[in-house]
Amino acid sequence: MSSDFYTAYILPYSALIIKICRAYTNTQEDFEDYYQEVCLQIWRTREKFRRESEWSTWVYRISLNVCLTLLKKKKNNTQHFASDYLPEEETEDSHAFADENLNVLYDAIRRLSEVDRGVILLYLEEKSYQEIADITGTNANNIGVRINRIKERLKKLLDGKVN
Amino acid sequence: MEKSIETIWKEGFLEADALVVPKLNNLYTQKSMHIVEKFKRMFQTNLRAIVIGGVVILGASFVVGIPVMGIMVFLIAGAIVLVNRTLQKRLMEIEPNVSSYEYVKSFDHWLKEQIDVNARMARFYYPFFFLSMVLGFWFSDYLPLVTRHLPSIYFVNGIPVFWLLGVFIIMGILYAVGGRLYKWDLQIVYGRVLKKLDEILSDMEKLRVSYPEIA
Repeated sequence: MSSDFYTAYILPYSALIIKICRAYTNTQEDFEDYYQEVCLQIWRTREKFRRESEWSTWVYRISLNVCLTLLKKKKNNTQHFASDYLPEEETEDSHAFADENLNVLYDAIRRLSEVDRGVILLYLEEKSYQEIADITGTNANNIGVRINRIKERLKKLLDGKVN
Repeated sequence: MEKSIETIWKEGFLEADALVVPKLNNLYTQKSMHIVEKFKRMFQTNLRAIVIGGVVILGASFVVGIPVMGIMVFLIAGAIVLVNRTLQKRLMEIEPNVSSYEYVKSFDHWLKEQIDVNARMARFYYPFFFLSMVLGFWFSDYLPLVTRHLPSIYFVNGIPVFWLLGVFIIMGILYAVGGRLYKWDLQIVYGRVLKKLDEILSDMEKLRVSYPEIA
């Protein structure tokens, strides 16, 4: 990875990579590993980018794929979780952001299924339903319903916890 | 009224220090350690399996009445294990407290040497393994059962020369393809690890050219 490539094509999108990685990790160490792996994967796959979509969409897609792959690997290695839901207890990453409400929201997002986490992050980043469907590989017709269902679940998880 | 998730999201990321970009450094430290450790474990397991296999075959050969085969296979397995134990000691001496690139490079160098030594050995142990089966039957009670069906024309002074010629031809073929057989076997056992190692080394070399601080 050249520093030019990193500065021009990754650094401007680091915010969205961070937002995605944080939703799939529980510790600062894991977060940094995921972030680095996403950067590497963007660099490795740079020649596959066909300019059929925005570069940011490409970055989202790579970030989500890398996070899902790493999470799957981690699950296979540790066999900690019976389902794809994270445990309810507070984690190291529960204080990752300066804003306390944002930390609470992230804790709730981490308790969603892996795909739902991606869908809601893209929704919060104001991506269109079609883009969300393209990036997450889901059906665009059901995205609206799915987002409403996720929002309902988040609302329940956040109940009384947000100032 | 509680804030909506959209509001929490927007307000949360308004703060200047909401997003701290992690520093990219030593991208491959953990990966390289992981891959080498995995190989070490697999290598150790493989050596144990060869020892256990040799002992089991030795015991079984006495039970079924072909002890010569069992003894020869046990000796071949012992030789393979002894040579690889020596190689394993050198593997353990690879210094992990250097840069991840140097660590992986040293491991790769060791691996190539290990493959070379074993491929050369394979040219001998595959034919000898085959010979052990032949001699196992030759010096067993099963021999008459086999030779009974061979026409007497093939015996010279009680030795089935054409049959022996066949054995030597097969041994010659095994000598010729032994190295390739070993590499095929290697791919079956360690294929994924070796592929991963190649990918890591290739990435590291590209990174070192243009971005040495993080490689």
